[in-house]
Amino acid sequence: MARFAGGNAPYLRIADQKGKNTNTIMRDFIIALIPVILFAWYKNGILVFIDGNTDFLGMLYPLFYIFVGGISSILMEAIFYYITDSELRKIKPLFSKLSTSYSVIPGLLIALMSPMYTPIWVLMFGVFFGNIIAKMLFGGFGKNIFNPALLGYAVIKFGFMGAITAAGGYFNASEILVDAYAGATPLVTLSGSNLTYASVVAPYGNLWDFFVGMTPGGLGETSVLVMLFSYLWLSFRKVIKWSTPLIYVGAFFLLSWIVGALNGEPGIWFPLYAIFSGGLVYGAVFMATEPVTTPSNPIGKIYFALMLAVLTVLFRYVGNLPEGVATSILLMNIFTLPIDKYTGIIRANRWKKPVWGKIATLVVILIAIGFYAVVKAGSVYTTIILPIIRISGVI
Amino acid sequence: MIFQKTHGIHIDGRKAMSKKLPLEEYFNPENVYIHLIKNIGPLISKVEVGDSVLVGQVVAVREGFGEMNVHSSISGTVTAIKKVWHASGKMVNAIEIKNDFKNNLDPSIKPNKNIDSLNREDLINLMKNAGLTGLGGAGFPTYIKYQTKQNIDTVIINAVECEPYLTCDYSFIIKYPEKLLKGLKYFMKAADAKKGVIVYKAYNKGIKLALNDFINNYENISLYEIEDVYPAGWEKYIIERVVGKTYTGLPSEVGVIVNNSSTAITFSDIVEHNIPLISRPITITGEGIKEPRNFYVPIGTKVSELIEKCGGYTGDIVPAKANYIAGGPMTGKAILIDDLVVSDTLGGVIVNPVPVKLQVECMGCGKCADICPAYLTPTEIKKALDYKDVSLIKALNANNCIQCGLCSYVCPSRREISTAVSKAKDLLRKGAK
Repeated sequence: MARFAGGNAPYLRIADQKGKNTNTIMRDFIIALIPVILFAWYKNGILVFIDGNTDFLGMLYPLFYIFVGGISSILMEAIFYYITDSELRKIKPLFSKLSTSYSVIPGLLIALMSPMYTPIWVLMFGVFFGNIIAKMLFGGFGKNIFNPALLGYAVIKFGFMGAITAAGGYFNASEILVDAYAGATPLVTLSGSNLTYASVVAPYGNLWDFFVGMTPGGLGETSVLVMLFSYLWLSFRKVIKWSTPLIYVGAFFLLSWIVGALNGEPGIWFPLYAIFSGGLVYGAVFMATEPVTTPSNPIGKIYFALMLAVLTVLFRYVGNLPEGVATSILLMNIFTLPIDKYTGIIRANRWKKPVWGKIATLVVILIAIGFYAVVKAGSVYTTIILPIIRISGVI
Repeated sequence: MIFQKTHGIHIDGRKAMSKKLPLEEYFNPENVYIHLIKNIGPLISKVEVGDSVLVGQVVAVREGFGEMNVHSSISGTVTAIKKVWHASGKMVNAIEIKNDFKNNLDPSIKPNKNIDSLNREDLINLMKNAGLTGLGGAGFPTYIKYQTKQNIDTVIINAVECEPYLTCDYSFIIKYPEKLLKGLKYFMKAADAKKGVIVYKAYNKGIKLALNDFINNYENISLYEIEDVYPAGWEKYIIERVVGKTYTGLPSEVGVIVNNSSTAITFSDIVEHNIPLISRPITITGEGIKEPRNFYVPIGTKVSELIEKCGGYTGDIVPAKANYIAGGPMTGKAILIDDLVVSDTLGGVIVNPVPVKLQVECMGCGKCADICPAYLTPTEIKKALDYKDVSLIKALNANNCIQCGLCSYVCPSRREISTAVSKAKDLLRKGAK
C-alpha cells in the first residue's frame, strides 16, 4: 500500500480550485466589512470634521480605533501561540498558522460594534476576552462555542459601561451637541418610555435616518443601508446562507408589529424602527450567520434564526435589555450543538414518523417562548384579558 | 431543501477532451491479466500455467452467491498466476495470458439462430454463463437483479455517466446505437417488463441523435433527458425522475431494474453472438494525457499500454509522480503507478498532476449538509464517529450515504468528510454484528 497515494476520493475538490476555499471565504467576509468601516469613518469622522466639531486627528480617530481592534486581535493571538506552542516560535510557521485562523475578524467586529469613545484599553480587553478566552482557549478557529466577537462585546458592554460613558460613550462630537438625544441612544429611549412615534423616533429624525444610519449607536452598526450591501455581497459570494438574516429580521419584524399593535401602536413605523435600531441587522448579517458557532444543518439554521427572533423580542421588550440581539445570539450559540444533532436526525429521516417526537419538541419550545414573549411584551393580560374578565363580571 | 427530493449540483464535466476522438477498438494487447476477483467474490481458477486458451473460454468460476463464469479475453497461453493492481486499489491474483495473436474463438461463440424463442429463464442463464456484471463501476452480477420475485414494470438504461471526465459509455453508445436498443429489448424480455427507458444527460445530446434513427423500430422504448448535475446517475435519482417513485432498499421494490448502457450493449452481443463479457470500453483521459480518448479493449489489458496508444504523457507530467485515478474522480481510487489492469469495473483512468492540498479547520459552514443528495448531515456523522456513538450514527441514517463524494467536493476547508462518513458506515456495520 505504500504506493497508494493522492489522498482520498473525490479527487476533484472545490477547495483546490483557485478562489473557492476557506481563505477566500474569509477574504470575502473582510471585504463585506469594508463598506461598514468606511461608513463608520464617514459618520463619526468625516461628517463631524465637516461640521467643524473635531480636528484632523479626531477625523481619523474612528479608523484608528477600528485598526487597533484588528491589529490587537492578531497580536494577541500571535503571543498566545508563541506562549502555548513551542513549534510556533519561528516566524514562518507562526505566520502560516495566523493566516489560517483569521484572527483579524473578531477584533474588527468588536471595534465596529462598540461605542466610539470606548477607551482603547477597554477595547483591548474586549478583544482579549473575545479572541483569546472565547476562541483560543476553546481550541482555536472552528472549535469555539461562543461567537468570539459577541462575547468580547458583551464583556465590555456589561462590565465597562461606566468607563465607556465616562470617556464619551456612544455620541460622537456632533451628536453630543444635539439636545433632543438627551444622552440616550434610541433603544435606551424605547425601554424607558411609552410607545409613540414622537417619543421614540422623532428625536432622532425620521425612519429614513434610521435606515441610512445617521443615529447614535455603536461605531459601525447603525446603517442598515450599508449592511444591506454587505448582506447582498456575502449572499452572492455564498459566504453566508442568505436565508438566515432574512428569517431573523423578517420574524422579528412580524413579532414586533404584533407587540406594537397590542400596545396600541399598529403603525408600520414601529416594527421598521425596531429592526433599524439596536444593531439588529448588524447582528443578523455578521453574527447570526457566523459558521462556527451557528448550526450547520440547513433546517437547524432556519430554527436558529426563528429562535433568535423570539428571544430578541423577549429580551428587548420584556427584559428591557437594549442588547437583546447580542444576548440572544450568545444564548443560542450554546444550543447550536443540540440543534445540529436534532435537526440532523430529523433531516436524515426525512421528517418520517420516528422523528416526530423531536420535531414536536423543537416546535413546542419555539412556540412557547414566542407566545410568552408576545403576550408579556404586548401586555395582553393587563390590557386585553383583564378588561374582558372585568366586563364579564368575574372579578 | 426542506421537503425533500434527491438533488445534485452541476460539476464541470471536463468530458470534451476525451470526446474529440472516436472509440478505438484495440483487441491485441501483448498480455492480459484476468483478475481472480469479481464484484467482491473471489474466483477459482480453472486453468494452469502452460494451458493454451481460446477467446471466450472459461478460465475461472465464482461459486456460492453470485456464481458465474469468467472467460479469457484473448487466445494464447497461460504464463503465470501473479498479483496485479485492480481498480479497487488493491493487488489481487490474476491469470496472465500471453497473446498468440491468432484470435482463435472458443466453439461456444457462434451466432444465436433462434433469438425469438428465448424465454426469460434462458436469457437469465445467458447472463450467468457469460459472466455479465454491471459495467458502471459497482460490478454487481446482472442476473441476480433479474431473478427478482417482484413484478418488474420498467427497465431503465442508465447512460447518464455523471462522473466528470468519463466518456466511455457515451462513445460506446455513439459507436453501437442499435446494439444498445437491442440489449434493452432483451433486458425487457428477461424481466417481463412492459417499458424500457434510456436515460441520458442533457450534456450528451449526441446520444439522442445517434438513437433517433433506430428508436422507431423498437416498441415501448423511450428516451429521457436528465439535467446535467452530479449525482444524476444515482439509481434513486433516476427512478425518482423517470418513474416518480422512491424506495428504501432496491429499485425492484417499485418495479424497476436499472442497468448501465455498456452492460446493455454487451448483453446484445451475448444474446446474438454468444460472446461473453470479455471486453469493455474505457476512457483514458486527464490533464496529463496527450491525446485523451476511449478504447474498446479486452478485459485484462494493461493501462500503461493504452496510455502509450494515447501518445503518452504531456510534457510537464513526470509519470512516477503523477496521480492515477482508477474510475471516476468522485468515487475512484488513486494509485501512484500506471501498471493498473482493465477489469470489468474500471471505466476510466485519469492522469493528473498531484494537487496542492490546503486543509484548514472545519468551520461548520454546512455546505456539505446542504449538498448531500441523501439529506444527511456529514459533520454530525463525523462528530458521532469521533465519539464512536453507534446509536447516534444509526439515528443520523449514515447507512443512506451513497458515497458520491459531494460533501468532500464542496468543502471549502478540504476536510476528508466523505471518508469519515464511510468510516462511520463501517463502524455501523461492525456494531450491528
